[in-house]
Amino acid sequence: MYHRTLKVINASGLHARPGSDFVHAAAKFASKITIRRLDEDEGPVNAKSIAFVLSLGVGKGVEIELAAEGPDEKEAVDSLAAFIESGLGETV
Amino acid sequence: MTLKGTGVSPGIATGPIHRYDPSAFVPGETALLSGEEADHLKRYKAAVKRAAAELEQIRIQMEARDPDKAKIFTAHGDILEDVAITEEITGKILNEHWDGGRAIHEVYEQFTGMVKRARDPLIAERAADFEDVRRRLLGIWSGTSRENLGDLAEPGIIAARDLLPSDTASLDRNKVLAILTETGGATSHSALIAKSFGIPAVLGIPDLLRSAANGQTAAVDALEGTVILDPEPAVIEAYARKRSGFLRAREEAETFRNRECVTADGTRIDIGVNIAGADDRELAEADFADSVGLFRTEFLYMGRDILPGEEEQYNVYRKILERFGKRPVILRTIDIGGDKPLSSMDLPKEDNPFLGNRALRLCFSHPELFRTQIRAGLRASVHGNLWIMFPMAGSLEDIDRAKSHVAECAAELEREGRPPGSVKTGIMIEVPSIALIADHAAAAVDFASIGSNDLCQYLCAADRMNSAVTAYYQNYHPGLFRLIDGTVKAFRAAGKPLSVCGELGGDPLAAPALVGLGLRKLSMASSAAPAVKRVLSRLGLAQMEELAKEILRRGSAGEVERYLKEQLGG
Repeated sequence: MYHRTLKVINASGLHARPGSDFVHAAAKFASKITIRRLDEDEGPVNAKSIAFVLSLGVGKGVEIELAAEGPDEKEAVDSLAAFIESGLGETV
Repeated sequence: MTLKGTGVSPGIATGPIHRYDPSAFVPGETALLSGEEADHLKRYKAAVKRAAAELEQIRIQMEARDPDKAKIFTAHGDILEDVAITEEITGKILNEHWDGGRAIHEVYEQFTGMVKRARDPLIAERAADFEDVRRRLLGIWSGTSRENLGDLAEPGIIAARDLLPSDTASLDRNKVLAILTETGGATSHSALIAKSFGIPAVLGIPDLLRSAANGQTAAVDALEGTVILDPEPAVIEAYARKRSGFLRAREEAETFRNRECVTADGTRIDIGVNIAGADDRELAEADFADSVGLFRTEFLYMGRDILPGEEEQYNVYRKILERFGKRPVILRTIDIGGDKPLSSMDLPKEDNPFLGNRALRLCFSHPELFRTQIRAGLRASVHGNLWIMFPMAGSLEDIDRAKSHVAECAAELEREGRPPGSVKTGIMIEVPSIALIADHAAAAVDFASIGSNDLCQYLCAADRMNSAVTAYYQNYHPGLFRLIDGTVKAFRAAGKPLSVCGELGGDPLAAPALVGLGLRKLSMASSAAPAVKRVLSRLGLAQMEELAKEILRRGSAGEVERYLKEQLGG
């Protein structure tokens, strides 16, 4: 199990196209990956599911925790974190 | 039997009901026999594959016609392949021995519910996409080739629970006589579809699908919001008369579109159009007008991930200004608040968005947003006759502050060697506090336009988006006319132009009274202009002044409306 906390910085957060791009990126890894909002007391959800990621409603500025468990857990979390920190293809 | 709903797209139609209920699916409740699970899983996977192929085909078709709508189908593809949904359905089939149809039915319901409950309204709206994918899968599963509004055998009146995004893509406007739905209000998909195709529609009819049978005759009056099932021959005849009357009036009014608007005694009334976009079709439809009385700029900001930059806005404004030449184009600066979420900006959700940090107030708290728009407008001003209008001004301080932003931007551009053309600045009159000091406001601005919708909502303290208080939002409230009367007097005394750009200006019943109060400029949707020009051409100023005087004396909205109908025969 490997995890990191970080802040979502792009304008539209994990909505719309950036949310969908994030899910597609997560799907490339073998590990089980989850995402959780740090400002809410709800359990982590499957980061490979657009339904779950959308329902979290993560907007700009929200702090999240990414966690993964499996053969490529570290690579998965680090690369997804880098993707989010780069703004998910959006201007930040 | 008479059903009542909300008419959202005017018109009259009589014809056979065509029930469109693709979501009607009764899942098999019996548990699978051992050994059947693998087969059901295989069928589910085949259904997903076929749905994906269908979506891809629609997406390609839409790409050419409407790339924005095509994106919806890419999103549907993502939902279809969602790992959590797939896993859940697979589990129900293999471990709980559910029939595959039931698994799709219930798992999608659960996920649709989850999305619908998201606090962010923008996300909650996407529940319609999940529902749409569910429908598609169940249609394939049950082998009933998915019904489609594109291949009706004969013209009919569609009776549906609601219309979903993919129905927009397929609807055949020549076969759909009218649209009736159980759910949905004025901003639902169904309403947007009906309005954009000009199909009469009555929405929000409770128990519609329980009452209306396939092939049953229905008479629809979308002006009144009524539907009569199995109408008597006399009713059918009356509706046919009403329909031809409606079409004749529309056609006759149409002949007024390109005529100059002159009252019976020769007074020229300036007719502007309200536009909310800059595509060629919209601009061509607006070309008959004397001005663009309201250019709503929100479309530049909606439904996109990043804010529009100065260059992009400049190009849009320049296009409109060039097209209208000497005719004024009144650009209203961004009118957005907590009720209209923007994916390009993180606006906090407010408890009372209409009384919150919106429009001009939002611009003051985000000066970069405001100044990008003003700079783009000022740069474009050399290409035409630009008037800049600020929404939601409530005080003289608001006016001063907005004007100083304009002055500073103009000075910046001068320094950069790009001096702006001559630009007028003015305000929307929509907050009662500014209407009540219209004399002071008139001295501080070059012009103003009465936004009667918001002015009415603030005056009557009734949210115009909340259907529970529709009865309290009274467009004909005598108080509204008194407030307009005072505003008109103040602007006339100051010699500054004043117009009305709210719904009242485009209402053939109210327009003569507004002219009677002293207004000489009205702005409206281009579709409303012919009827307004027609009624104004038939009346003299003295008659309209009499109308105005009378309604200022009435005590209630009902009395005002009755009186205007009596006098104008509406």
